[in-house]
Amino acid sequence: MSLVEIKNLKVHYPIRSGFFNRITDSVNAVDGISFNIEAGETYGLVGESGSGKSTTGKSVVGLEKVTSGSIMYKGKDITKKANRKSLDYNHDVQMIFQDSLSSLNPRKRIEDIIAEPLRNFEHLDKDSEKLRVLQLLDIVGLDADALYKYPHQFSGGQRQRIGVARAVATNPKLIIADEPVSALDLSVQAQVLNFMKKIQREFNISYLFISHDLGVVRHMCNNIAIMNNGRLVEIGTRDDIYNHPMHIYTKRLLAAIPETNVSQRAEHRAQRLAVEEVYREQQDKYYDKDGLAYPLVQITPTHSVALPEALAEQLKHEGEVQA
Amino acid sequence: MEESLNRHSKISAADLERLSKEAKGEATPSSARIVWNEFKADKPAMVALVIIVAFILFVMIAALFIDTPKMMETDIMNYNAAPGTNGFILGADTGGRPIFQQLIVGARNSIGIAMGLTVISSTFGICWGLISGYFNGLIDWGMQRVYDFMMMLPMTMMIIVLVTIIKNYNAITLTLIFSVFYWEGTSRLIRSRTLSESEKDYVAAAKTSGTGNFKIIFSEIMPNISSLLIVDTTLSFAENIGVETGLSYLGFGLPMHTPSLGTLIANANDPNNITQYWWTWLPAALLIIILCLSISYVGQVVRRSADASQRQGAAD
Ligand SMILES: Nc1ncnc2c1ncn2[C@@H]1O[C@H](COP(=O)(O)OP(=O)(O)OP(=O)(O)O)[C@@H](O)[C@H]1O
Ligand SMILES: [Mg+2]
Repeated sequence: MSLVEIKNLKVHYPIRSGFFNRITDSVNAVDGISFNIEAGETYGLVGESGSGKSTTGKSVVGLEKVTSGSIMYKGKDITKKANRKSLDYNHDVQMIFQDSLSSLNPRKRIEDIIAEPLRNFEHLDKDSEKLRVLQLLDIVGLDADALYKYPHQFSGGQRQRIGVARAVATNPKLIIADEPVSALDLSVQAQVLNFMKKIQREFNISYLFISHDLGVVRHMCNNIAIMNNGRLVEIGTRDDIYNHPMHIYTKRLLAAIPETNVSQRAEHRAQRLAVEEVYREQQDKYYDKDGLAYPLVQITPTHSVALPEALAEQLKHEGEVQA
Repeated sequence: MEESLNRHSKISAADLERLSKEAKGEATPSSARIVWNEFKADKPAMVALVIIVAFILFVMIAALFIDTPKMMETDIMNYNAAPGTNGFILGADTGGRPIFQQLIVGARNSIGIAMGLTVISSTFGICWGLISGYFNGLIDWGMQRVYDFMMMLPMTMMIIVLVTIIKNYNAITLTLIFSVFYWEGTSRLIRSRTLSESEKDYVAAAKTSGTGNFKIIFSEIMPNISSLLIVDTTLSFAENIGVETGLSYLGFGLPMHTPSLGTLIANANDPNNITQYWWTWLPAALLIIILCLSISYVGQVVRRSADASQRQGAAD
């Protein structure tokens, strides 16, 4: 059984307008997505800005009111508040936020920030609590003198690590990492990512790793879901997504990864333009008449893609011929 | 968790005391220290603070030694006595009552009412605004309709009517009546800040850390809007001194035999007093001006110290 099973999750925000402030329309931030997260793995959720990644992540930690669908954990549907309470759900599932500065209360000292989940879930005595905080700081590579400082006295990378320390404090089974490194420069990115991998091995944590950067996701994740306008367009292993992408949206995202090798830059640019050309021409083949992605169809046991049956069949054959 | 942490971190119980001592040395100064530094850096504010504290202490203590009913007895012989004559330090009014003593008792009454009013109405308004803004949705909707209803009532008229209906009112009932009508402005202001503050990720982080709603409101959000709270409270205090004096001036505040700054300023209603007997009203007017200015000055300094980027005082 998977650690977390997300089934047909929908989050719609109402749009109110008019004189009586009635609900006239809705933003379908998340529009019927399903995937499973296994224990100990890193599951990547990729998509462009506004595709509903954060909303999905927040639903999984229980911060967002879901419109319909279910998220099963230990056999209970945690979209219901009573179930989250009875499971002590957030003891096991934590979140690293997209914006490290705004996720740390500027009025609280680092000690109180990291100890907050400990105080609510573990009820340690004063000394062992402080010891735990010091050990967590040590693990994320910060000195003990951070204890009584405030968040604004740290750099972005250090703050992100404080966020990580808080998220791992109660030894959770799953951490939602919402673009944990997208605000950081490359060298600090690598530092934080390697560090997240290290604690994953040590504490056997699963991540739901949210990112818009396929380069970073390749480094972190075994299984990946590609999200577009609230729907999933492709699910697969790292190999499926990077070496056998089928949906045009995935191909486009892959073509957008910057090429660091200078000698191949021109070639890369030509390839990107070609993909863009195909995207413009064939867009209506890949999306239904409302411009939304089709339901997923299975290509291989690990690989699913959102295409009409006929096209999927055709692409599958082409793939086999090529291989 | 414990074993795995012990395995991965070199820090053990033995280091606890040494490390926390080291960290204490590096600690950022406490907020009381910061406020004090800020006052030390701003001399006029220091003067304002000294004026307020000294004046309030003096008035509170000196008023204990004054026999108010006896002071308020009419004394025809000293009708409008000039300052310095017959032992009247600041002269006497049309009833021959000593201005200086009236000023002390009056200031105590006015300040007492303003303080009581500020404490009650600000506390209520702040809680109302915080809860309404945080919970959003149905609770917010209900609370805002109550607010709209209260705003609809003509405040001054309601107070005057209530004061006329209630036969035996004193300083305490008057404070309570005022309080009913003076929490709305604060609550709307606090609500709008709370709305935007609740959107921030640290509130979401507190929720996923298992902290309860009311603890989030009062120990996470409230400290973050403290500079707004402080400024609003000091300004309402200065304003509330005006509320009582204004109504007493119109004759609807404290009863006649209880002096207040308002009843003293009301002496200026008489054209004779304005031109010839300036001592009957001028001291009270000056007192109010100085007091209100000092209070808003102090409020500014406290706000600056609550806002790290505006501080003038040295860091340590
Ligand atoms: N509270 C809200 N009310 C209305 N619409 C919302 C709300 N929150 C998000 N949305 C909408 O839902 C969509 C998805 O938002 P979401 O924050 O999940 O995007 P994202 O994939 O995380 O993007 P980014 O990469 O920029 O963080 C957006 O179109 C956004 O406008
Ligand atoms: Mg996001």
